[in-house]
Amino acid sequence: MTPRERIKNAMDFKEVDAVPWSENFFEESLMKFFSEGLPAHKMTVVEWAMAQDGRIVLNWPKFMGFDPYSYFGCINLWDCPVPVDVGPIPRFKQRKIWENAKYEEYIMETGARSRRFKKETGRITWYAMPQFYEFPVKDRKSWEQYKKRLDPEDPRRYPKDWEKDGYVQVFDKYQKGPTMLGLTGFYGFGAELMGIPNFNLAFYKDPELIGDIISHWEYFTIESLREAVETFKDRIDLVFWWEDMAEKHGPNISPKLYKEFLLPHYKRVTRFLNKNKIRRIMMDSDGNTQPILDLVIEAGITGHWPLEVNSGMDVRTLRKRYGNKLFLGGNLDKREIAKGGEAMQKEIDSKLPLMKETGGYIAGLDHLVHVEFTLEKFKEYADYLREKLTIQ
Amino acid sequence: MGDILSEISLTIKNLGDSGKVQNLVNKALSQNIPVSDIVEKGLRKGLEQVGAKYEAGEYFLAELLFAASIMDGAMQVLRPKLKKKAIEKKGTILLGTVRGDMHDIGKNIFKMLVEAAGFEVNDLNVDVDPEAFVERSRGIKPDILGLSCLLTTALSEIKVVVDMLDEAKIRNGLKVLIGGNAVTKEFAEEVGADAAALDAVDGVAVCKEWVKA
Repeated sequence: MTPRERIKNAMDFKEVDAVPWSENFFEESLMKFFSEGLPAHKMTVVEWAMAQDGRIVLNWPKFMGFDPYSYFGCINLWDCPVPVDVGPIPRFKQRKIWENAKYEEYIMETGARSRRFKKETGRITWYAMPQFYEFPVKDRKSWEQYKKRLDPEDPRRYPKDWEKDGYVQVFDKYQKGPTMLGLTGFYGFGAELMGIPNFNLAFYKDPELIGDIISHWEYFTIESLREAVETFKDRIDLVFWWEDMAEKHGPNISPKLYKEFLLPHYKRVTRFLNKNKIRRIMMDSDGNTQPILDLVIEAGITGHWPLEVNSGMDVRTLRKRYGNKLFLGGNLDKREIAKGGEAMQKEIDSKLPLMKETGGYIAGLDHLVHVEFTLEKFKEYADYLREKLTIQ
Repeated sequence: MGDILSEISLTIKNLGDSGKVQNLVNKALSQNIPVSDIVEKGLRKGLEQVGAKYEAGEYFLAELLFAASIMDGAMQVLRPKLKKKAIEKKGTILLGTVRGDMHDIGKNIFKMLVEAAGFEVNDLNVDVDPEAFVERSRGIKPDILGLSCLLTTALSEIKVVVDMLDEAKIRNGLKVLIGGNAVTKEFAEEVGADAAALDAVDGVAVCKEWVKA
């Protein structure tokens, strides 16, 4: 089986020769791994390309970057995505607006303002996440302004070389993992626009604004992606729907609000996808999503990742509760796995056998590979897990 | 008197209209109900019930934030009427996110709720040096030091702060509460903190319990 066939079958609860394994690396984790001896030359991708990006007609080797996925033997879900730009167009120009010895402040491409550690301080800068302190949408007026940047018909949303047959061939040939359509969810979109506290408050203080934001996002999502979805159809193996709508205690919004404000819009998007034979739709949310999972399934979502253990998520409980209504990804406790040795083995052995038996599982950590992993411990985990994934 | 205060708390509990609560507060004032009773038996009681619903899984973050904003609206009506010390302060909390971590959402939600519950909060913001926690603890002598931490990479900073407090011998009468996605009860025990809050409401309950004791 190719990795693509394997992961598609796993998500469909069909027979596989081995459980697929997928990870996602924080860039800073990889940089740390290099400092600990990760052989960069073995991960480097060099490709023949036209020199100077086509400014000289000359075939020349071009450095394309690092590929830790093939090196460790795991799948990168984002390796073959549908190439549609769903961001604000025009982008906000990212620029530095303030700095002192320790911090710098930026206007980000989404329009938010953030403060982050300066690289020169030697601190972890990207993994630590910036502090977002101002958001582009504050009220109806600022939303109407922002909405102008979300025109689904803007020709810049598709690549300059958008030529359907060529892209279809690429999608047909790709075998390193699933082809993927990345979506931003209704909650995630609103929280990025307004910040979590203000977006949450607006469900009560300005429900009309929330209704308009969510309705527009549904329209924008379907219409900006329509051409790509209707072109690729079931060549899209997986929809990766980012939401991040929960904390340790539970979802940020109640099942009641989810049902009233989000569910109808989810259903219309999933119906559009299903109509185009796209059926594997996975929600990405950290935190404890359990109180809304019935509704998530009703919305047409068929998979869930990364299932954070620290928030009480557990593949064994979810499998018992939802059977094959929900394929599952992740849930290997990053804190235990990073310890290595017995703790790592115990964590894998407590979950993998049931997942192998019941199917519908993509093995992996319960979030990205974080900076506390040493290269040694990550390799130990990779070696042990790879050995256990095979199905006899 | 009881009826109108019950109506205030019930309206907050049921996430009613903020304007309605403000009207009820004005009505209570016109009936010469003491401000302290309006706050304690009306507003805070309502907020406590919201907290209980959150713990029971009936309410979630959006409901908590909205209830706190209703409370804030009502306090705006009451603030001009407040005489110094008309309402007893429950205690003082020094709060901040530990060094190396810039996350503030959880900390800010806790701050909002614990202020509404009657505590005075001194917020040192995010990425706070351990020395700053110690120095300010020495200066303002808070009842509680709240340390927030979301990143596992910054967890060790909690122990640094706790050890420095011990070294400076200012731990007597000062309780250390830790919170944030990265912390657990076991970790609190391991590093010598007095408690770990699993969420903002849990944190408020712990603080109230401590100052009651």
